[in-house]
This record gives sequence, structure tokens and C-alpha cells, in this order.
Amino acid sequence: MFAIIAAKDMRELARDGRLLWAGGLILVLLLVALAAGWNRQVQLNNERSAGQALDYDAWLHQGYRHPHDAAEQGMHVFKPEPPLGVFDPGIGPFVGSTVWLQAHRQSEVKFRPAQDATGLQRFGELSPAWLLQVLVPLLIIVIGFNSMSGERERGTLRQLLSLGVPARSLLLGKAAALASCAGVLIAPVGVGFAAFLVARLPAGERLDVVYRISWLAAGYGLYLGLFVFLTLAVSALVRSSRAALVILLGFWVAATLIAPRTASEAVNLLYPTPSRLAFDDHLSHDIAGAASKAWAAHFGARTQWDPSLPLSKWGAALKVDDAAGYGALDENFGGLWDTFERQQRAQEWVGLVAPVVALRGFSMGLAGTDFSQHRDFSTAAETQRRKIQDIVSEDLIKHADPLGNAHFTYKAGPELWASVPPFKYQLPSVSFALAHHWGSLALLAVLFCLSVALAHYALSRPLMR
Amino acid sequence: MKSRSLSTLSLIIRHEARILVRDRTLPLVCCVLALMVGYGLFVGLAQATLRDRMVAQVAKHEQETQRANTGTLQSVLAGKSALVPFSNPANPAALAGTLAGRFATIPNAPLAALAIGQSDMMPNYYRISYLSKVQFMYDTEIENPWNLLSGHFDLAFVIVFVLPLLVTTLGYNLLSAEREHGTLRMLCSQPLSVPTLLTGKIVVRMLALLAIAIPLPLIVVLLIRPETRGVEQLLLMLSWSALITAYTLFWFAVAALVNATGLSSSANALIMVALWTTFVLILPVTMNLVVGLVSPAPSRTELASRTRVATAESLREFESLYSADYRYASDPEALLVKGERIEVPSRMRAFFLAKQRVDEKIEPLLERFDRQLLQQQRLVDRLSLLSPAILVNEALNSIAGTDSRRFVAFKDQTEAFHNKWRQYFSPRILESRAMTAQDLSSLPQWHWIEIPASETSWSIWWRTALMLALAFMVGGAALARSSRSNRIAV
Repeated sequence: MFAIIAAKDMRELARDGRLLWAGGLILVLLLVALAAGWNRQVQLNNERSAGQALDYDAWLHQGYRHPHDAAEQGMHVFKPEPPLGVFDPGIGPFVGSTVWLQAHRQSEVKFRPAQDATGLQRFGELSPAWLLQVLVPLLIIVIGFNSMSGERERGTLRQLLSLGVPARSLLLGKAAALASCAGVLIAPVGVGFAAFLVARLPAGERLDVVYRISWLAAGYGLYLGLFVFLTLAVSALVRSSRAALVILLGFWVAATLIAPRTASEAVNLLYPTPSRLAFDDHLSHDIAGAASKAWAAHFGARTQWDPSLPLSKWGAALKVDDAAGYGALDENFGGLWDTFERQQRAQEWVGLVAPVVALRGFSMGLAGTDFSQHRDFSTAAETQRRKIQDIVSEDLIKHADPLGNAHFTYKAGPELWASVPPFKYQLPSVSFALAHHWGSLALLAVLFCLSVALAHYALSRPLMR
Repeated sequence: MKSRSLSTLSLIIRHEARILVRDRTLPLVCCVLALMVGYGLFVGLAQATLRDRMVAQVAKHEQETQRANTGTLQSVLAGKSALVPFSNPANPAALAGTLAGRFATIPNAPLAALAIGQSDMMPNYYRISYLSKVQFMYDTEIENPWNLLSGHFDLAFVIVFVLPLLVTTLGYNLLSAEREHGTLRMLCSQPLSVPTLLTGKIVVRMLALLAIAIPLPLIVVLLIRPETRGVEQLLLMLSWSALITAYTLFWFAVAALVNATGLSSSANALIMVALWTTFVLILPVTMNLVVGLVSPAPSRTELASRTRVATAESLREFESLYSADYRYASDPEALLVKGERIEVPSRMRAFFLAKQRVDEKIEPLLERFDRQLLQQQRLVDRLSLLSPAILVNEALNSIAGTDSRRFVAFKDQTEAFHNKWRQYFSPRILESRAMTAQDLSSLPQWHWIEIPASETSWSIWWRTALMLALAFMVGGAALARSSRSNRIAV
């Protein structure tokens, strides 16, 4: 019975102009977004891996040089674009991708793409994820708002009920019709692109990406399913199609457009972000404090660069200084990043009323473009920087410190450069993303169940009022 | 004839106002708008205050450092304290670095609270030192990237995104409801033309919305921020009001045109939402993609590689300075000011010169980034003709002084100041001239030069004029169609 209902509804929708036009537009945008995203990603990844290889090569062949000056030239490392970044660029435009690892200070990831773009960037990025999060729910509402109320208004509901159609079949049939319409649009492109993407990957990374895609499919399935059942529920509950449309559109605007902005304003009040100036001051203060303590403990000197400290201890001093700074850096950057993550977790509760907020976090996480994975990269880059620093200081202690005032005439050679390993960064696996985002998925599942229950309730009430 | 149609119009307006108040639609919509405008303004004010405070803090920081340096210099010159090279203000190479604590700052424009624009992403101060431009020009303000992605709930958002939706709520069934209630036939039997009816209905709704959207923020801003009370600012506020009026009028004209097609209320609502989605969501996002494709930014990876090459070359060039003997730890006497001279440690001289050389080499590439951004901006100006939302958003940001143009100008001026800063120190470092107390008080001063008001106001007024022309065109089409159509009442 439910198959007949679904088939009838789908035929109706196919004949109606709404699905054709809106669906066609979404399909075109989807293809454009995928093509542009793919093109961009291939170019970026090629550029970055080539850049990084060249950079390491230059490091190895930098000739004879004082190790501290080598650390001045430093090393550039680039964040690789995760394969699913094409699907959901996430926070990508608003965080950088390049770190210049230099002596003394934790280098931050720089060059945000949004800085090289105009104000238009703030309207959003055309990505498949954006289309699925914002436009497809609108499509579901637009084609489904009158699926129950329309039957009532046309008088066909009476006939349908007189045939003894059970409420459950009616609900499932209508839902299947709406879901298939959305599915027909998304699934072929989605499956095709997934196959293309997986086929282009090296064999070792395939399994991880396949898992990610399946989880993404589950998340988006729940989200769009939520809109299908919600649309049906409202369509059955309210008196007229017009009212159903107004209520659903109102919900869509509030939930997908207004809620994310309000949520981020609200959590900023709850967990304020420090200003750059305050952060830098605090960091410098902490580093200076830790350093003077360490200097007092190791050399009995009161201040850094105390005249009582001969240059024959400069390498050793550098090592002590750096090691003392690591703690302060970890604490300050860790604190800042924890604030960001707290802000995001707090926002996810807004997902209870605005499912897009929960989905957005989940989608970015699984696509590998969320903050936790950016943080993972930043930490890896900092570890590499410390590795360089430690190797350099060790070498200075061994070779330069015995030279006294001629400390800076010491020159290290290729063997030292080769002892610094190349920067190899492995993108975190799917389990890392799931550990951070299972909550959002659970929230989506709960919301989905609630919407099914609401739709069930709406259809099991006396429909003829 | 004319006076009769005017009196009919006023009759319709009065009648319509009464109905809208009685069925509570108008009060409800107005309340929602007032709440959102108020909240948006609150967010804008909070952000503007935050940035004001930052600039003030930076200025304070600068003064304190200046005072501390002057004090230290006196004791150094008196031979009371010998210092390590890095913290000796008599040493020009140290002062050229971070010791001077110099900043370049951009103040908020007086109307900054009206739109946050790019101000949450672009820094409003740079720390000036002899460091290379790649090292300090990319420090950004700290903000959670997630929040940058979501965007702010500021007044510009309320106007560009939400106001058209409220217009839709009030206007999707201007004629269709009358027809569905069966009252349109009755109305048409009166000596009343459909265009007059449509105009009257729109006037009431539009006045109600504008009565909230325009005076509310302006009054608050005028009360809270005294710097907004100048003639120039009042003119900007005038253009702001004109822009919002034009944008609202445009959306009402669209509603009128949709109503003139004679479809049902539901269909009208769908068409309005489709148009809104196209103009406000899809077109800007697509244009962003197009701008990136047509006029892509140069590669940042290339910049990084060039920086590395330039750094390596400059290290090689100043090799001998870098590896010179360093005796200041064991021989602090060497650091004292003798006559008007001070020994600038070779390594510090090397730092200064090397950074300067790096900038000389990568400057052309950095300029390419700025040029490209301006070119993108010009493209956006042209493409904004396609979507009123882009048009209005750009204009709102330039009124508030938070558009990319102003920040690019800030960057340009900072770069010029940075060069001046270096030029000031360069001879002193090369000739080992010690800094005197007088030097310290006559260091290069940063002054922000505001973009000429004529340039801004031109870019705002042509947008407003265009928006008005668009609104009148659509409105004219709607009125013409509604007067011709006989089917409307059926």
C-alpha cells in the first residue's frame, strides 16, 4: 500500500514544476561546486607537497652555517587538504595552511584564504555541504508542505481514508516520496563523486575515506529525514497549506540562517575570546617568567642575557630558555584552543532547536576540516619546530659553546641538517573525528526520532477535522 | 481627477492600516524587526567598542614603552647601567625592533556599529619593527574560525537577509488574499484602480517597517557615540537611510509584481522565497566562486617558497656579519655610548639588513596580492549589479568603514610607514650613531589618513541610485501589469 502512495506522490511531484526547477538548480550548483572544489584541491595539494619537498631540500642543502641562523631560515610546512574538503571546506577559508617554523616562538598557521578574498566570502562558500545543509531542506519544504494539507483541501483525503488506508502506510508512503525526490537529486552525484574520489586515492587511504563517507551519509540522511518528517507533520497538523508553508519557511529561516549566528554571538559572551594584544602580552609575560626561573635554577643568573653569563654557555642557555618556554606556549595556546572548542561544544546544544548547527559540526569533523583537526596539525607543526630547536641547541652545546666569544663563527654542515627529519603529517583517522563528534550525530538521531514521532502523532490524530 | 485618486489612496491607506493592526500581523512583524534591529545594533556596538578599546590599549602600551625607554636611555647615557644589546634604547638596532613598541592603528569609522563587515577578520593594528613584512603583516585578530564562518548577527545582516523576508511576510498576498476572500471583485466594482490599491497597501507596510529600521539605529548611535554628530556623518546616515528605503522598496516592488501575476497566495509565497533565495543566498555565494575563478589570488605557497629563498640569500649575503665575534657578554664596556657613537653588534646589524633585503625581494609578490584583491573588488562591484543583496551589503560596509577597501588602504599605509621606519634607522645603524633623548621623542609617527570622503560617498550614492532605479523599474512593471490585467479579479 505504501509503495502505491509513494509512486502516486512521486508522479505528482514530477509533473509539478517546483521539483523540476528547484531540483534542477540545486543539481547544477552541486556539480559546479564539486568541479570547482576538486579543481582547487588538486591544485593546492600539488603546490603544497611540491613546496614542502623543495623546502626540505633547501634545508638539507643550505651549506655551512651557524645552526641558530639555520633555525632563522627555518622550514615551511603546509597543511594538506583532506580529500573530503571538496565536499565540506569547513573552517578552511578562515584558517591558514602555512606555518613558518622559526626559532624562539610558536609560529601560527598563517595565510587565511578569506584574507585574499573580498567581502563576498562572508555570504558563504558554495560547497556541496552548504547546498545539502541549506538548500535541500528548503527544497523538501517547498515540495512537501502541501502533501497532507493538499489532500485535505482537495477532498482526496476523505476518499483515501474511506479505502481504509492505515495512517502508518500513508506516512511512510508520503515520506518515501519526498525522500526519493531529494535522493534522486543527490544520490547519483554523491555516489558518482564518492567513487571517483576513492578511486583517485592511494590504496592506504581508501578505507578511511570510505568510512568517512558512510558516516557523512548517515548524518545527512538523519538531517534530511528530519526535514521530511517535520514537513509531513506540520502539513498534517495545521489547517491549511498556506499556514503549513508559512510555519515551515519560518522554521527554516530561523533554524538555518538566524540560529547559527545567534549561537556564535551567545557563546562569545559565555566564553570570551581574548584579544590578540591581551593574548600576546600574557604569553610574553608567562614565557619571561618561566625563563627567568629556569635561568636562576640552571645558571644562577637573575635575568636573561645576564652579563654574568659567558657566551660559552650560550647554546646551553638557549636550550634552557626554549624548554622553559614550551610549558608557557602549551598553556597559552592550549587555553586559547580549549576556549574555541568549548565555544563550539556549547553551540552544538543549539542543535536541539536548529539541527543545522549540529550537522555542520559533524560534517566538518568527518570531512576533516573542523577545528580539532586543524589543532592536530598545528600541534604537529609545533612538535617539528621543537625537534629542530632541540637538535640545534644540542649541536651548539657540543660545538659552539667551547669557542667562547667566537661562538658565532661555528658552522654546522649537511650532517646536522640531515639529522632533522622531514615533516610528515598524517591526517587523523575517522575514529579521531568520531570521538569529537559522536555527540552531534546522537543529537541528530534523537531529533530525527522526535520528528518521526511527531509525524506519527500528527497522522494518527483524526485527520478529518 | 488627481485629487480624487489621492483621496482614494489615503482612504486605502487608513483602511489597510486599521486591518493590519487589528489582525495583529503588522504589530507582530514590527516587534520581530525591532528586536532584531536592536540585537544587531547591540552586537555591532559591542564589536566597535571592543575595537576602540584595542586601539586605546595599543596607544597606551606605546606611550608606556616610550616613557620606559626614555628613562632607561637617561640612565644608560649617564653610564649608570650597562645593558644587553637587545634592551638598550641607545642602540638603534634594538630600538628599530620591538623595543620601541610602535604600532600602526586604524581607528573605527564613526558609524562602525552599523555593520561589522570585514572588521572581525582584518587586524586594526600592526606592530611595527624592522621585521620583514611577511612576518608581521599576516598577524590577524584572534577569533574562533567557527564564528567567522557563521558570521555576525549585525545590523547589516538584519537588513540584507531578514528585512526582505519580513517584506515577504507582509507582502506575499497583497492582492491574492483579497481575491481568495472574494473582496477583490467588490473592490474592483468601486471607482478604484488596482495600481492605486496596490500602492496604498505597500505604502502602509513599508512605512511601518522603515519607521523601525531607520530611526531606531540612528537615534541609538547618535546618543551613544558622540563622534557621529558631524555633518559628514549625518550625510552618511542620510545615504544609509536612502539605501535601506531603496532596498525595502525593491522588495515590495517584487512582491507587487508577483501579486500582479494573479496566482494563489501559496504560489506567491513560494515565488517570493525562491527569489529571495536566489538573490540573497545563491547569487552571492556563486559570485564568490566566480570571482575566485576569474581573478584568483596568487599562490600563498609560492610566497612561502620565495620567502625561504630570499631569507637564505640574505643569510648568505650578510654571512660575515652574522658570524662575527660576539664579545658583549664578557666585555659589557663595549656597549657603552662613547661620544655620540655606540657599537651596534654585527649580528643585530645583520638582522636589520637581512630583513630589509628579504622585503626588497618579495615586495613585488606582496604587491601582486594587494593588486589582485583590488581587482577582485572591482569585479564584485560589477557583479553586484546582478544581486541587490550584494549591492546593499557592499554599500552598508562602506558606510560603516568596515569594507575591504578601507583595510587594504590601512595595509598600504602601514607598509609605507614600515619603510619610513626603516629608512629612519638605516643610516643610524650603519653609522653606529647612538640614539639621543631627542631622537627618541622624534621617532617617525604613525598617522592614519582616512580615505577621502568623496570617494566613499560616490561609491555609496551610485549604489543607492541604482537600487532605487531597480526598485522603480520593478515597481513600474508591477503597476503596469496590474492595471492591464483583467484576470486579476477573477
